[in-house]
Formats: sequence, structure tokens, C-alpha cells
Amino acid sequence: MTPSPPSAHPSGISLNHVTKNFGRKQVLTDVTAELPSGRIYGLLGSNGVGKTTLMSLICGHQFRTGGRILIDGIDPVENPMVLQRTCFVHEDQLYNDSFSVRDILAVIPAFYPTWSAETADRLVTRFRLPLDTKSKKLSRGQRSALAITLSLASRAAYTFLDEPYLGLDASSRSILYDELLAEYAAHPRTFIISTHLIDEVADLMEEVVVLEDGVVAVQTDVDEARAACFIVRGREAEVRTLVGDREILTERHLGTILSATVRGAVTPDDRTLAERTHLTIEAASLQEFVAALGLHALDEVARKTEVAS
Amino acid sequence: MTHVRPNLRLYLANRTGVLLTPVVILTIMLGLSLIVAGFIGIATGFPLPEGTVVRMRYNGGALYCVPGFLLSVGVLAMNRNFSMALAFGSTRRNFWLGTSIGFILTSLAVGVGTVLLLGLEILTDHWFINARAFDVVALGSGDPVQAFATMFVLSMLSLYTGAFFGTIYRALGTVWTSVAAVGLGVLALCAGAAFLWKWDVIAPQVVGWEAWFFVALGLVTAALMAAASYGANRSATV
Repeated sequence: MTPSPPSAHPSGISLNHVTKNFGRKQVLTDVTAELPSGRIYGLLGSNGVGKTTLMSLICGHQFRTGGRILIDGIDPVENPMVLQRTCFVHEDQLYNDSFSVRDILAVIPAFYPTWSAETADRLVTRFRLPLDTKSKKLSRGQRSALAITLSLASRAAYTFLDEPYLGLDASSRSILYDELLAEYAAHPRTFIISTHLIDEVADLMEEVVVLEDGVVAVQTDVDEARAACFIVRGREAEVRTLVGDREILTERHLGTILSATVRGAVTPDDRTLAERTHLTIEAASLQEFVAALGLHALDEVARKTEVAS
Repeated sequence: MTHVRPNLRLYLANRTGVLLTPVVILTIMLGLSLIVAGFIGIATGFPLPEGTVVRMRYNGGALYCVPGFLLSVGVLAMNRNFSMALAFGSTRRNFWLGTSIGFILTSLAVGVGTVLLLGLEILTDHWFINARAFDVVALGSGDPVQAFATMFVLSMLSLYTGAFFGTIYRALGTVWTSVAAVGLGVLALCAGAAFLWKWDVIAPQVVGWEAWFFVALGLVTAALMAAASYGANRSATV
């Protein structure tokens, strides 16, 4: 059977009630999201929430338990026309032990008609990758640099970066961000980046998808995500009055002082009340928002476990 | 073919390892055989006496020396190269096809290497001392076609067996790899027992085949292992 070719106009990735179980453990319980093409997405969430698993399912590296995944309107599983438009170098990517960096850079271009030798050469130079070193001898940072080099030079329409900064020093991370933006500006395509260094990468991302508890907890524009919660501090009673029936994602106590991360936007009434009752209101960073969602999910799990027992 | 070719290039990225090393191993086996023959010759005199030559006709070194290495090539191809191929947008099917073409090239290299060394052995009147490493019963007693076919099939069998275990390991982990190894061993023993039990029925059918019988048997087994590795590959994950 001839696989269907992708549409001339990439429509993006569509996830519809995607589930994934590993034995009895359900990692993704119901993931539904639309990721239009030509954007940079941040795939965020706590450790073990299923970010890498979701990217593996999209690229057909693993098989979903249920639901539907489409890339440009086509199921990517075993479809060469669709998969050749994807590049997903895993954070713990296995390479053939006998391959040097030079061998890898010689063979991978055959997989991509869009391969940019110029980008590869530039990144090899900027990251100072040792061409004659065997892949198994590379340090953690060099492995990340190699993964970034291959991913960006592939110019794949859908490029997945799984915690690409691991082991990279500050200047190398800066190279990553510069190069990613330059590539994106020159050759717009879809990047999906899983990351824990959220604030560092926040300026790169256009949209965030936050996974918690096996579902998409939030999918929104980065600016909207930044405005999706705020932090209020002060005496506990006044803080609770200001919050009202809005959802508190996390709270920290210091004596009688409460610091609460609240889901929702700050209203003018909030500001007036805060001024009158000597409360401090400040915007939460994206990282604080995601961390709060993660802690909230953990609290919910603990609460459910307590109820069950 | 467009999508298969990158996978073949991936397999051939280390040409020395997959094309030259097996032939080097055959050459080392030849060297060791000549050293042993030399020691015998020191005791019995050169050229080697007829009794020693008869024993050397049953030298199975060529059959034993390459399978271990080729098993590891098969395992690594399906394990490490598989992860790379999928990362860079290949399908499992195209990866298997590209790697299979690579396996054929490796087996051709082993077959051609064997024939060349056999030719040298005969041209030098068995290395000037009546020693034999390739002009042996197991390789058709000097028949280059049979020597080629035997080594080609043996190589394919070794590569696909490695590929099967490499894929099982990738798809299902160490426990199932052990289960598969034990299962395959039991199956091989059962098949061997069945052959011995029904040998009086089988023997008349294959009389005159001589070493070709083992080539045919190896071919069927290689085809079964190829099918098994393909099946396992379809469900392997990264």
C-alpha cells in the first residue's frame, strides 16, 4: 500500500484523546491538543509527566494505546512521507558506538532532502564538537550539542528538542537559543521543545503546552500563560479574602504570612483591595506558573490517595 | 527506494566494520590454521603427510570464525542503528529493508573473500605445505560456488539471528531476550532431534546433496530468522 503524501500546506499536529499505558501504568490519560504548524511550542510539565513519551508517540517511536495522532492530517505511524518531515533526537539518544561525530554527520544528511550542511558546519564550529571522537566518548554537553546540530541542520518541518540544554554551559545554551531563533526566522518550521529551564527559554516559545496528570492542563500563548496566574502575599486572612473562590495553585506559609499562587488574572478591584489591606501582588513567571501547576497536581494526587486509604 | 537508501548508508557508515572485518577474521583463521599446520609439519616433515591432510579436509575453522562477529553486527544494527534511523524520520519497514540490503552486502563480502582465499589456497598448492583452511569438505572440497554459497548463507543466518535478538531486546527488554534465546535453543534441539529421528526418511531425499544440504538448511533457517526479525522489528520502540 502506498502511504499517503502529506498535504502541500502543513496543517500541524493534531492530538485527539491520546492515551499511553506502560503495562498497568497509565502515563497519558487523555491528551487532546491542536498544534498548528510554523510555531515554537514549549512542552512543559513535571518530571515523569509524559513529555518525552508524547513526542515519541507523535514521531511513531512508540505506539499509542488509544486515541488519534495526525501530522498534516495523516497518521504518522510507519508513513515515510510524513516521518521524513520529523526529527526527534532523544535526550538519551543511542548512536552506533563505532560512529564518530564525523561518521554521524556524514550519514544523517541522507535522511533529509532539506539538510543544511552550512548550518551543520557552523554549529560544529560554534559548539567546538570533536569530529573524530566516537559518540560513546562524548560528554553530556557534547551529546546535547550534537543533538542540536543534527536537529537544526535537518531543517525538518517538525523538529522536536528534548531538554536540549542538558550539560551545556551558559555560553553554549546562548548559542542554542541564538541559532534556534536564526533558523526559525530564516526557515520557519515547527519546533516542539520540552524543557525545565522555562524562564530561560520563555522568550523563544510562542505557545506552551503544559502536561499534568496525563492530560493537557494548559495550552496557551506564552503571554497569556504569564498572565494566567499571579502571586499574592500578606496576612493570611486578607489574602484569602482577596482570592475569594478563585483556585489557589500553591500556598506557602511563613508565620502569619501567606504567599499564594492564584489561577486567574489580576483585576483592578484586586489591586485596590491589595493596596487597602497591605498585600503584595506580583506577576508569576512562566516557571512559577508551571511549578505551581505541578505542585497542585501532586497535592491533588496526595489528597485522592488519602481519601482512598 | 528513496527512503530505504539512507538506512543502507547508515549500515555502511562503518564500512571497515561491516565489509572488511569479516574477511580479516577469515584471514586470521587462515593464519592460525597455517601456524597449526606448521607445528604439525615440524614434527612430521613437509609437505604434510596424507593422514594430516585427511584431517585438515575437515577443518571447520571457516564456519566457526565469522558467526560470532556477525551476530554482534546484527545485534548492533538493530539496536543502535534502529534508534538513529527512527530519530531521523525513518519507518521501521524502511530501516529493516535498508539494513537487509546491508546484510546481503556483508554476506557477499564474506562469500567473495572466501572464494578469493580458496583460489589462493589452490593456486599455491595449499600454501606450499599441503595445509587446508578453505579447500575443505564443509565448503565443497574446492568447489568455489559451494564455498561461496555456504559462507553467504552462514553469514545471512548469523546476521539475521543477531538482528532478531537485537530487535527483541529493543522491543521487549532483557527478560524476553533470554526467553527468546532459550526458546530458540529448545526449538533448534527439537529440530535436530526430529532430523535424527526421521533421518532414514530424509536421507534418501537428500542423497547426493552433500554439503548443499546444509546450505539449503541454512537458507531456510536464515529466511525464518529474517521473517522473525522483521516481525519483531515492526513492534520495536525507541
